Amino acid sequence: MRRKISKPLIYLFAIFWVFMTIFPLFITFLCSVKDNDGITLGMFSWPEEFMWSNYTQAFESAYILQAVGNSLFLAITSTILTIVIGIMAAYILSRKKFKGRTLIYMVFLIGVMVPVHCTIIPISSMAARIGGKNEFWFLILTYTAFALPQAIFLFTGYLDGVSKELDDAARIDGCGDVQTLFRVLLPCCTPIISTEAILAFIAGYGELIFDMILMSDQDKYTVARAMLTFTGGYKVSLGPIFACIIVAVILMVAIYIAFHEKVQDGMLTGAIKG
Amino acid sequence: MKKKLSSNFTIILFLAPALILFAMFILYPVCNTIYLSFHSWKGIYGAPVNFVGLKNYAQVLSGADFWRSLLNSVFFMIGGFVILMPLSFGLALLITSKLKGTKIMKTSYFMPVMLSTTAVALMWVYMLNPSYGVVNQLLRGIGLEKLCQDWLSTPVLNMWCIILVNEWMYAGYNMLIFAAGLVSIPSDVYEAAKLDGCTGWKKLRYISIPLSKESFKIFSILCVTGCLKAFDPVWAITKGGLTILLRCRHHCYIMKHLHLSSSANPVPSASCC
Repeated sequence: MRRKISKPLIYLFAIFWVFMTIFPLFITFLCSVKDNDGITLGMFSWPEEFMWSNYTQAFESAYILQAVGNSLFLAITSTILTIVIGIMAAYILSRKKFKGRTLIYMVFLIGVMVPVHCTIIPISSMAARIGGKNEFWFLILTYTAFALPQAIFLFTGYLDGVSKELDDAARIDGCGDVQTLFRVLLPCCTPIISTEAILAFIAGYGELIFDMILMSDQDKYTVARAMLTFTGGYKVSLGPIFACIIVAVILMVAIYIAFHEKVQDGMLTGAIKG
Repeated sequence: MKKKLSSNFTIILFLAPALILFAMFILYPVCNTIYLSFHSWKGIYGAPVNFVGLKNYAQVLSGADFWRSLLNSVFFMIGGFVILMPLSFGLALLITSKLKGTKIMKTSYFMPVMLSTTAVALMWVYMLNPSYGVVNQLLRGIGLEKLCQDWLSTPVLNMWCIILVNEWMYAGYNMLIFAAGLVSIPSDVYEAAKLDGCTGWKKLRYISIPLSKESFKIFSILCVTGCLKAFDPVWAITKGGLTILLRCRHHCYIMKHLHLSSSANPVPSASCC
C-alpha cells in the first residue's frame, strides 16, 4: 500500500529536479531573444518576436567570440598537456620502484587540496619576473599545474589496477619505457583519461581567477571574464547580456549533448576508481 | 650497471615535467605565501620585504572581516552536508533505480556541471533579480507576494542563495559519485535482503546507505575542500567579499592591479589562506 503512495511522489521529485536543471537555461535563452520590455514584464512569457539582433550586439561589444576562442584554445592545450605529463608521472609512480616514491606521491596528493587562492600573489610576481603576464603560455602552464595533482592521483590509481604482466609482455616484445606507456598502457587507460580530460576541460574553459590576475588585454580574456566585464559595464539593455551568457554556455551544452553517455560513463568509472 | 643508470634516467625524465610544474606553480607559491605572511611588503615587485613576525596574523585575527568570512565559509560547509548530501544521494538513488526515464534524468541532472561557474552564477543573478526575476514572479504568480525578497542584497539570505546556486550546480557531480557507489553494491545483497523481508525504507537504511560508506567519505573530502575553495560563484554573484578566500583575493587584487599598496597592507590577507 505504502509503495503505491510513494511511487508517484518519487516521480514527482524526479520530474521536479529535471525541470529545475533545465529551466534556468531555458529562461536565459528566452530572455536572450527578447527586448527590455519583454524581459522586465515577464521573464516567463514567450517572446513576441525573436530579437536575434541581441546576439549581433553581444558579438560586437563583448568580444565574446574571441573569448570563446581563447577559452577553447586554453582548455584544449592545457587538457592535453595535463594528460601527457600526468600519465608519464603516473607510469613512473605506479611501475618503478625507487627511493622517495611515496614521498613524491604524497606531495602530489597534498597538491589536490591546495586552494588556488593562496598561490595568487607569488604566481603573479613570478609572471612579472619571467615575462609571463598577458601571455597565453603562462596561463596554460598554470592551468596544467593545477590540474596535474588530480590527474596523477587518478592515473596512478588506475594504473595500479592494470596488470603488470602487460608491461612484461611488452618488454619481451622489445618495447622501451616510452613505447610501453604510449602504445600498450595508454589504450588501457582510456576510461580514466576521458574522465580527467572532461574535468580538466571544464575547469580550463570556465577558469576565472588566473585570467583576472594575469591577463590585461581585452582580446585575451576568457569566456568567464568577458561575460563578467560585459554584464558589469553594460546595463542599458538586458537582451544582449543574456545572449552573451548563451553564447558562452552553448558550446559546453552542445558538447555535452553530443557525448553525454561518454561523459557520464567516464565520470562514473573515475568516481569508482578515485 | 648501465641498465640501472638508464632506468634512473627514465624515471627522472618522466617525472621531471610534472615535478617542475608542481614545484613552480604550487609548491613555491605556497611556501612563498607562508614566508610573506611573516613579513610586511607593499606588494610591488622589488619593494623591500621586512620581517614583522606575527603582526600580520594579529591584524587579521583581530579584524571582524576575517571572522565574518570564516563564518560564511562555515555556512558553505553546513549547506554542503545538510542540503547537498541528501539531495545528491537522493538523485543517485533515482538514477540507479528501475524507474522509467532514468536516462533523461541522468542527462539533465548532470548538465549544470558542464556549464561554467560564471555563466551559472550570472544566470541566477538575473533569475533572482528583485524586480523582474523569475523567482519573485513565480512567488507573485502563486499568491505568495509576502515571500518576495531582494534575494541578493539581504545579508545572510544572499549567502544562502549563493550556497543554493552552488549546490544546484554540483548536485549532478556528487550524484555521480554516489551513483558509482550504489552501482557497485552487488545485487545478491539486495536479493538476500528481500528474502529476509527487507523493503522500501529498510532497504535504504540498512543496505544502500551503509554500503556506500566509501562514497560518503569521498563526498565529505570533496565537500570540505570544495567549500573552502569556493570562489567563482561568490565572486560572480556579488563581486564583493563574502567568503574568506574572497576577502583574500580582494586584497590581492587591490594590491596587484590598483596599486593601492601604500594604504592597504595586503600580506595579512595572504596569511588567512
